[in-house]
Amino acid sequence: MGVFRRLLHVHLAGDRLRCEHVPIDDAITRALIGGVGLGAHLLWRYAPRGVDPLAPAAPLIFALAPLLGTPLTTTAKLAVICKSPLTGRISDGLSSSRFALAAKRLGVDAIVLTGALDHLSIVHLDEDPTRARVEPCPALAGASPAEVGEALAGRRVAAIGPAGERLVRFATLTNDGRHAGRGGAGALLGAKRVKAITVHGDATPPLADPAAVRERAKELARRSLGAATDKYRRLGTVANLETFDRLRILPARNFQRVSIGRAKARRLSPEGLRAEAGHVREGCAGCTIGCDHRFGGTRLEYESLFALGPLCGIDEPAQVLAAAAACDRLGVDTISAGGTLAFAMECAERGLVPWPIAFGDDLVPWLEKIAAREGIGDLLAEGSRRVAARVGQGSERFACQVKGLELPGYEPRTMQTMALGLAVAARGADHNRSGAYQADLQPGVDRFAAALATTPARVIETEDHAALLDALILCKFLRGAIADPWVEGAELLAMTAGIALSPDELREAAARIVALRHLYNRREGWTIAEDTLPARFFDEPLEDGAALSRELLAAMVAAYHEARGLGVERLPARERLDALFAPLDLGPWAEGLE
Amino acid sequence: MVEVELYGLPRLYAGAERCAVAAGSLAEVLGALAQALPGLVPAIVDARGHLSEHARVAIDGRRLLDDPAEAIADGAVLVVISAQAGG
Repeated sequence: MGVFRRLLHVHLAGDRLRCEHVPIDDAITRALIGGVGLGAHLLWRYAPRGVDPLAPAAPLIFALAPLLGTPLTTTAKLAVICKSPLTGRISDGLSSSRFALAAKRLGVDAIVLTGALDHLSIVHLDEDPTRARVEPCPALAGASPAEVGEALAGRRVAAIGPAGERLVRFATLTNDGRHAGRGGAGALLGAKRVKAITVHGDATPPLADPAAVRERAKELARRSLGAATDKYRRLGTVANLETFDRLRILPARNFQRVSIGRAKARRLSPEGLRAEAGHVREGCAGCTIGCDHRFGGTRLEYESLFALGPLCGIDEPAQVLAAAAACDRLGVDTISAGGTLAFAMECAERGLVPWPIAFGDDLVPWLEKIAAREGIGDLLAEGSRRVAARVGQGSERFACQVKGLELPGYEPRTMQTMALGLAVAARGADHNRSGAYQADLQPGVDRFAAALATTPARVIETEDHAALLDALILCKFLRGAIADPWVEGAELLAMTAGIALSPDELREAAARIVALRHLYNRREGWTIAEDTLPARFFDEPLEDGAALSRELLAAMVAAYHEARGLGVERLPARERLDALFAPLDLGPWAEGLE
Repeated sequence: MVEVELYGLPRLYAGAERCAVAAGSLAEVLGALAQALPGLVPAIVDARGHLSEHARVAIDGRRLLDDPAEAIADGAVLVVISAQAGG
């Protein structure tokens, strides 16, 4: 569907809204493509420096992408960008849905929400801005995203659950049962007293080369059904758990262990889950892969399985599935919920807190306390970093987070490229904006021993690759079916948006997106000291002796930022900014740092 | 003998969790594996014992192998997995 070259700015105040179309210059699209790139730009532009992420002035941004709305497979996705209430840094989450498709038909490339309403309401957006309206919805207070969807049947809806309403710092924003999960975008919507957003429109901008898009769509669909994606179709990412257990990558009991043993891992394999709960497979809107595996009706992928299972000392499939269903119902990020609860469990096990929580406990009552901010849940709703600050007594060393974002399911001591990827990722411990784990699982890479000479470049390559896919937007599960993403990415951008970039220029754009995320963080107070991992990973070797060198990681972090062109100081030199952001209007950008 | 463990898609294709084959070069070991478990051909290995781009093999669950001539000794354990990780 290409690009519309304008955004919709929605100003919320009292019980009303005001909509305004704002042009987007082609230079922005050429420099940052769309999706997470456009979103980073808009966050820089619309978020006041130092803003409280839950203040009315903080923007919540839905950034669309050039491929969205075309027949190209896996492109029905949008990016949700904000200053994270969990990390205080940039957060960008992706999700697939018919809401994304409908949002594009508003005739815009992004939606920016600022301000706040007085009462919990639904915001109805329309292609015709004069028809946009606010509808108070007191009856939906406390409703799950699915219940909101049922109440608004027939509309395309993005909604929050009770956790978002209660400003849980890792609340999700849900559409079609899929989540922009990490970083707490749901809390921003809750702070704006917006329970849900609906979108309605019929806008269809011409594609630059419709015949080429149709032909490529057929060809890409064919490739999407090949061997490169067979794992996602036939087993889903839950198959990772048993493999990772065997490779000693699987975090268990708050990263105290890297394996739960073969028999227990088998129970949490696709075969084990199917035997326990039954299985159906579905797919996202507009996707030919169909990686959405549901067990007993609950969608489950590796990250939720690890975080709500072994990380919390749980190996019963039914317990994991109940916790995953609760996270969906309450609207909380499974990784941060599991990570925070696992941290609390270890605190209790060590006698640092008197809380009645232990590894292996049923998570559902705890998730409900978090979503309601009830009792201890009120503190746990703040995420593991803030809980550790309250508990003290040295607990910070095993609060497994980076920049406040809880770690995904990869053990840094036995995946040391990933260790660097987690440390430097702009949104905090992250496995989606960086695919550094892929480098660790390549022949010729010693995943137990990072190297200053090679590891930073590997991390940069995977970050840039992810930035390209997340800006266009294409699903990462398609990456194995794309021989050269820079060549094909340039072709796709040209045939959809009519923007001609060479593969090298596209590489520069991807690197610029990552640099812009870092630049935003620097504006908000980042220093290089926060690009590290919790002390556990340096000071507590695994039983086979695997450990991470604090000094080596620090040297690699510095090398990474030098290679990114930003340097290690918080404020980059003007010439560095000019070199990185030459295609953009640099004046105001640089001034924002000073 | 070399013990080969299969996980994920390789296990699904093979219809088996493990298999013991004679020691030799990596290509010889994987070739023997392909003969013993023909469901692995061609998605995981070809008949000559060359690993597909969609699979990985690790020795003792640690180092990933890619040299077909590398000697795999008696008593070694190979782990065959899908190439795609993440999620």
